[in-house]
Amino acid sequence: MRLRVLQRQFQNALLGGDRQLLTHVAPTPGADAEQRIDIYAQAYRLRLQEALEVDFPKLRTLLGTDPFDELAQAYIERHPSQQPSLRWFGRHMAAFLTQAAPWSAQPALGELAAFEWAQGEVFDAPDADTVAVAEIAEISPQEWPRLHFQPHPSLRRLDLYWNVVAVWQALDNGEAPPPLLAATKAQAWLLWRRQLSIHWRSLGVEECWALDAWRRGASFGEICEGLCEWVAPEQVPVHAASLLKSWVDARLISVLVGG
Amino acid sequence: MRTTTAATSRPYLGYGLGLRTEHYESVLRQRPAVDWFEIISENYMVGGGKALHFLERIRADYPMVMHGVSLSIGGSDTLNEDYLRELKTLAARVEPEWISDHLCWTGVEGYNMHDLLPLPYTEEAVRHVAERVCRVQDFLGRQILLENVSSYLSYDCSHMPEWEFLAAVARRADCLILLDINNVYVSSHNHRFDPHDYLNALPAERVRQFHLAGHTHSGEIIVDTHDQAVIDPVWKLYASAVRRFGMVSTMIERDDNIPPLDDLLAELEQARTIAAPILKSLVA
Repeated sequence: MRLRVLQRQFQNALLGGDRQLLTHVAPTPGADAEQRIDIYAQAYRLRLQEALEVDFPKLRTLLGTDPFDELAQAYIERHPSQQPSLRWFGRHMAAFLTQAAPWSAQPALGELAAFEWAQGEVFDAPDADTVAVAEIAEISPQEWPRLHFQPHPSLRRLDLYWNVVAVWQALDNGEAPPPLLAATKAQAWLLWRRQLSIHWRSLGVEECWALDAWRRGASFGEICEGLCEWVAPEQVPVHAASLLKSWVDARLISVLVGG
Repeated sequence: MRTTTAATSRPYLGYGLGLRTEHYESVLRQRPAVDWFEIISENYMVGGGKALHFLERIRADYPMVMHGVSLSIGGSDTLNEDYLRELKTLAARVEPEWISDHLCWTGVEGYNMHDLLPLPYTEEAVRHVAERVCRVQDFLGRQILLENVSSYLSYDCSHMPEWEFLAAVARRADCLILLDINNVYVSSHNHRFDPHDYLNALPAERVRQFHLAGHTHSGEIIVDTHDQAVIDPVWKLYASAVRRFGMVSTMIERDDNIPPLDDLLAELEQARTIAAPILKSLVA
């Protein structure tokens, strides 16, 4: 029989329990064809489930083992892997949780998954050198307005309505998580990697705006103009310089591009 | 240190271990007496961070080989060119002594089952796999090694034993063989054949590397879980393989239930102890 037909039937047995493969399994003592196919089918689901357990450890703790297993199996059915590496298998989890019942009724779950997935992205994002404070000091005053910055490749931004970061941290400390609470406005979060460690912190409204503007390619001068919405014009240069220094200190900036 | 065995001109690395995340820091701290490490290629196909950080440092002190799990050399989709490019990029970074993957398929129609699924042992499959191995070798600019996998079922359309299939692919594609001794043992149990028939049928000059690993019994079937120590019957089969193939780079492959590094070093020492007198007698 043709290789492709056989492989399609085998794959269908793993994905959806299709039994066409049964007729092509050679009889061998020790186990029947069904038992032999089941070894592959069970291993397939177990392997993918383990990958999700690695990527979403606190989601699993919060939900509990059995409910997480149910979620994992539903996710495996909806999003079979299409990547060479299991590293990317869980990338649809946050969206899946917001769309699929019964999990969609608890929007905090999707946000917790998004937070855990972002940590994974930060963890193995590309490496890059970062700018030191001394380099900033060398920039002449007339260059500042047209200065652009390039973020470290690990930088990620999340907007979260729910207190899932506090929940994550409590679970990570082995403590009982606080009750899930939603705010009326989303809280902005920044995640990044410094050397090999993952960091995150919340952002105030004007810093969030400045950071997003910077990532969209705004110059230092444009950021200063925008900050006038929150800061008195005469204080804007000092405020913007202070933000920039805090980003440099946190190793968020990889490259400065002069005007 | 890389040497070459006189009898077969086979590059020889000695005794190695699969490099696992759990051991990164121990390896750098202890500088263990391991001759080389094997990495899982896909684990290092990332932008940066911890995996590449430790890879670079450990590579500075140890020879390495690359071992992939997603080439799907027997798959009936077209070869994944993005994957091959990533593999080649990683090889340029690691400069491995060699690159291996498995004689299997992992999915069709764009899906990846993340398992090493068995091929039918047919002339059609020999032609199909050999042609793809040639294309991969052309692209990478080097011969690759193909590993025999453990399997739990066989197809009624197969008309040759697994060892004949592996030998035919290796000869036709002019590729090399990574012989997993545990997988031979597991499949010999699951399909009721004599594992020595397997060893005796392989072209010795193409066997470049051995894997040793543990497994788990699931009823009447043995499952290749790589989460246990190597068992005595597999050590005995290893001794037979050393007698048959001579000096072949050997490693312990533990993928789950990872013990402390020292436990694996002790297991590796057992491989050295078993092989040493056999190799001495072969030279004499």
